[in-house]
Amino acid sequence: MRKLIATLFVLALALAGGQADAKEWKKIRIGVEGAYPPFSSIKPDGTLEGFDIDIAWALCKQMGAECDLVSQDWDGMIPALLARKYDAIIASMSITPERKEKVAFTRKYYNTPAKFARRKGSGIEITAAGLKGKTVAVQRATTHDNFITAEFGDTVKIKRYATQDEAYLDAAAGRIDVLLADSMAMLDGFLNTDTGKDFEFVGPGYSDPKYFGEGAGIAIRKNNADLVEQFNAAIDAIRADGTYKKINDKYFDFDVYGEPTS
Amino acid sequence: MFDLQGYGELVLKGFGLTVAVALLSLAISTLLGMIGAVAKLSKSRVARTIAGVYTTIIRGVPDLVLMLLIFFGGQMLVNDIGDWMGWEYIDISPFIAGTLTIGFIFGAYMTETFRGAILAVPRGEIEAGHAYGMTGPQTFFRITLPAMVRHALPSFGNNWLVLAKTTALVSVIGLHDMVYNAGAAGFTVKKPFTFYLLAAGLFLVITATSDIALRWTNKRYSSGVRKA
Repeated sequence: MRKLIATLFVLALALAGGQADAKEWKKIRIGVEGAYPPFSSIKPDGTLEGFDIDIAWALCKQMGAECDLVSQDWDGMIPALLARKYDAIIASMSITPERKEKVAFTRKYYNTPAKFARRKGSGIEITAAGLKGKTVAVQRATTHDNFITAEFGDTVKIKRYATQDEAYLDAAAGRIDVLLADSMAMLDGFLNTDTGKDFEFVGPGYSDPKYFGEGAGIAIRKNNADLVEQFNAAIDAIRADGTYKKINDKYFDFDVYGEPTS
Repeated sequence: MFDLQGYGELVLKGFGLTVAVALLSLAISTLLGMIGAVAKLSKSRVARTIAGVYTTIIRGVPDLVLMLLIFFGGQMLVNDIGDWMGWEYIDISPFIAGTLTIGFIFGAYMTETFRGAILAVPRGEIEAGHAYGMTGPQTFFRITLPAMVRHALPSFGNNWLVLAKTTALVSVIGLHDMVYNAGAAGFTVKKPFTFYLLAAGLFLVITATSDIALRWTNKRYSSGVRKA
């Protein structure tokens, strides 16, 4: 059995043909996803497009590195990174403590804020007084649930749903005054659809790391601290020279970077 | 409702890859299955033990787990060996890894299929071959093999249908098969249901076509056998 597996590996190797890269970071393979519009999606000819993709190319250009984008199913994203199928993940991956145990992260490259949406014409304001007695929909056990419970829990009626879609449907059915969710998810999944045509954004974007984490970062193997630094510097550089803003404005009408990091 | 928004071609490209993975792994599994069956029925204790361990372990572990284990674990093993030997990074292609893994998994099922089929060939026919002075391999290829096909086909067909659908797992290891492309296109245009329905339909095309082929093969290898 052992022998068989070993034989198969050798065979696989022989067939794969030793394709080798230089190991200094002039050549970087980047794992991306392809099924999370508008951050990454696939065009009819099979090529990739989206915010993540443009950011990846911009960072590569900034670093003067030769890059290869590898699209990978979300389920195998981190295992493939650890197996060195690619060296970095740029796939809207949120920086979370659980993931930090396995991989290192650069600083965030975006952090879409959470936002409220209200029924059009309701005139509800996002203040303790304005929300008093109103029904707010959130997805259960999410960062949004934690936020509304802690900040407005004693003034509003909170309805918690198992999925974000159920909250949208109940809002469309008229049982909800206000929703709180990730702004991007809500814009694409609700407000810009037929179901959500009676709702609109209201109030500021929320991105307090205490509730909402640090945002989406680039995941890199833990033993490649030099590459983390290289990416961090590149993120700062494209923020500074306006490249980031150009990409941002191509996809969004607000700044997805969120609060500047200290 | 069935507007593919230009993504039909992409899914069809995936369809081609799915068929390629399926047929190649079928060839590998058939080969491994024959070797396994012969090993299981051989007089050598070592051969029997190896084949026994193979079928027991492979049939006992979920396909997806094996796939991830071989693809990612295999890559890590290669990396470790590479680091130790001072080689550069060596990439295991997902196509080869996926095909080998599926072939390897279904080889275990094929082993049992073929073993049963060989046992169903009347002992006397094989003995007759020996009596004519044929060597072991000669007897196998001239008598046992043609006679066992009929017994193997129903279960072989079953294995093939399951194998064809198992190819959907290769999307997890980064291969752009039909399921991956259908999913990516579906989420991009926000009509996942339409695209997964299309993928399901194309799988039906594969299985329906093979049903016809299997029926034809069955007819051919059952000539001379009276229907009960």
